Amino acid sequence: MLSLFQQGLEIVFTFQVLGLIFFGTVVGIIFGAIPGLTATMAVALFLPITYSLSASAGIALLIGLYIGGVSGGLISAILLKIPGTPASVATTFDGGPMMEKGEGAKALGVGIFYSFVGTFLSILALIFIAPTLAKIALSFGPHEYFSIAIFSLTLIITLSTGSMVKGIFSGALGFMFSTVGIAPVDAITRFTFGQTELNSGFDILPVLIGLFAISEIIKVAEEVKHEQQATIQTVKMKGFGFSLKEFFEQGWNCIRSTLIGTGIGILPGIGSGTSNIVAYMVAKKRSKTPEKFGKGCIDGIVASEAASCSAVGGAMIPLLTLGIPGDTVTAMLLGGFMIHGIQPGPLLFMSQGPLVYSIFIAMVVSSVMMLVCELYGVRIFVKMLAIPKHILLPIILVLCVVGAFGLGNRVFDVGTIVFFGLLGYGFVKCKIPQTPFIIGLILGPMAETNLRRGLMLSDGNFMGFLTEPISATFLAIAAASVGVHVYQTLRTRREASVKTAAAS
Amino acid sequence: MSNLRKREFAVGIVFLLVGLAYLWMTSQLPRKQFIDAAFVPYVLAITMCLLGAFQLWEAARMPAGDTGKQEDTADYRTVVKTLALIVAYAALLQPLGFPLMTVIYLFAQFIVLTPRDKAISYPMYATIAVLSSAAVYATFRYAFDMLLPVGVLSAFIN
Repeated sequence: MLSLFQQGLEIVFTFQVLGLIFFGTVVGIIFGAIPGLTATMAVALFLPITYSLSASAGIALLIGLYIGGVSGGLISAILLKIPGTPASVATTFDGGPMMEKGEGAKALGVGIFYSFVGTFLSILALIFIAPTLAKIALSFGPHEYFSIAIFSLTLIITLSTGSMVKGIFSGALGFMFSTVGIAPVDAITRFTFGQTELNSGFDILPVLIGLFAISEIIKVAEEVKHEQQATIQTVKMKGFGFSLKEFFEQGWNCIRSTLIGTGIGILPGIGSGTSNIVAYMVAKKRSKTPEKFGKGCIDGIVASEAASCSAVGGAMIPLLTLGIPGDTVTAMLLGGFMIHGIQPGPLLFMSQGPLVYSIFIAMVVSSVMMLVCELYGVRIFVKMLAIPKHILLPIILVLCVVGAFGLGNRVFDVGTIVFFGLLGYGFVKCKIPQTPFIIGLILGPMAETNLRRGLMLSDGNFMGFLTEPISATFLAIAAASVGVHVYQTLRTRREASVKTAAAS
Repeated sequence: MSNLRKREFAVGIVFLLVGLAYLWMTSQLPRKQFIDAAFVPYVLAITMCLLGAFQLWEAARMPAGDTGKQEDTADYRTVVKTLALIVAYAALLQPLGFPLMTVIYLFAQFIVLTPRDKAISYPMYATIAVLSSAAVYATFRYAFDMLLPVGVLSAFIN
């Protein structure tokens, strides 16, 4: 392990890689800070630059964008009271009131410090959990992989907000698109309509760029005409702005929120967008002074920022050990790995050990850079908030088109991002969650291939999936999560109908 | 019928149509045995049809007066114009080439997205469009060796 660390250090501590991490972190913070732009968009945008870089340098840049992008949202959450990304929604609850009370500098200081602590602790969790999990995953066969794919799909469907029917449909639709191309095992061409470009199926990256970047641009077009330029207040930062006593008081809140964030990050498909709100609610519930929440207390900012940023390390765990993305940015990173011919999974730790450890070190370096840049560069980032969206968004779209085109030097991929952009916009308008679609698209081939292989191993008998203990456990949890969700939905409906009947 | 109910009905119909279309396409696949290349598509198509039917049933059970929580204030005229520009950009990228099509797209898109309270500055938009297109093309062509289509400008740039 120590020699791998040493090799990782040698990869990261070069002028080029450090420069790329710094650049990625700064751009990530800007994307996080500007409402409407997200870390997913930042990674989508900079993927074409990684095509010509080495795998370690390219992935280091993407890691910088990811860490900066998740944390940067706190700047606008506090200064504008508008969350820059979904990861900082709960930061507005107390950051906004603190800004109004003239404690903006303190709110920013707390947010920056605890987003660093959350990120750092989750990276430690990643460093210690991932190699062990990878070792366990090495013994997994087709039965286990099929069950993990089904478990991940059901989990994201039950955890996605809104209608469960829409969540399942979204996942099934993603799975459906994954069946386009040459089928696993018997190599039959399916649903290609004679288009040779479809023989290898849809590439994940154009789908992700379309679904998350193009649809977002179309969504912004709905309101940009009426948008008023927000008044941006400036603050003078002097250190982190909180006392040592406050630091010790926040200890348990920080650890609990980090555990929540890392745990949610590990779950497939959900990440910082969910963890910040969950941690905020828990902190409020457990607080001795819950009445202070929402009126400008640092506890809320600590919980939100520590949880949202700790989801970063958590989300990397399933990605690196099983090849399952923990959230939408890691889905994008999965595509980034594939560009360089790297397949994340347990074998990655065996075949590309130095690369894996260079990712760990790049994450630590990026989180330190994020802390320093946000602390000393807030004034510069604030100026970025003033860039007009009607100029910025079309340029971003052009860069997305370049990114899609560069994948295979074909206009077909540009058409793909437009198609999935329209589909993503349709999802937004019909309130259909997008994440199950992505998980279905990514895990579909994994589920189908391993179902076929598993059945071949057990002579066509489905019982093999239930008699293998790990496989059976994952399937049981999947069934239980669906059962619990259906029960909760029915109970909520019954209570609502009782209330309506009582009111009338 | 309320807007919310109408929307949920429409969603159910789309679900059902997508499921049926996928089922029909799956039925065209050659079969070898029970578990073959068509097995998973059949499972998915049937699931999608059932979900569509369930969504329609749910929409039918919704209270008639439920209008949803918020009024839709989206500016669909700008959305349609933006969609048309994006589709045109993708369609004409190959024949007209990246540099020229990008200038046209950016210039038009800046105008379409300009907020109502701001004046449209044609010279500034044209300058930004030309500079952005040139910078993106030069960066990716010469720094990253990406062969972006040049279209009608093939005689002037390589």
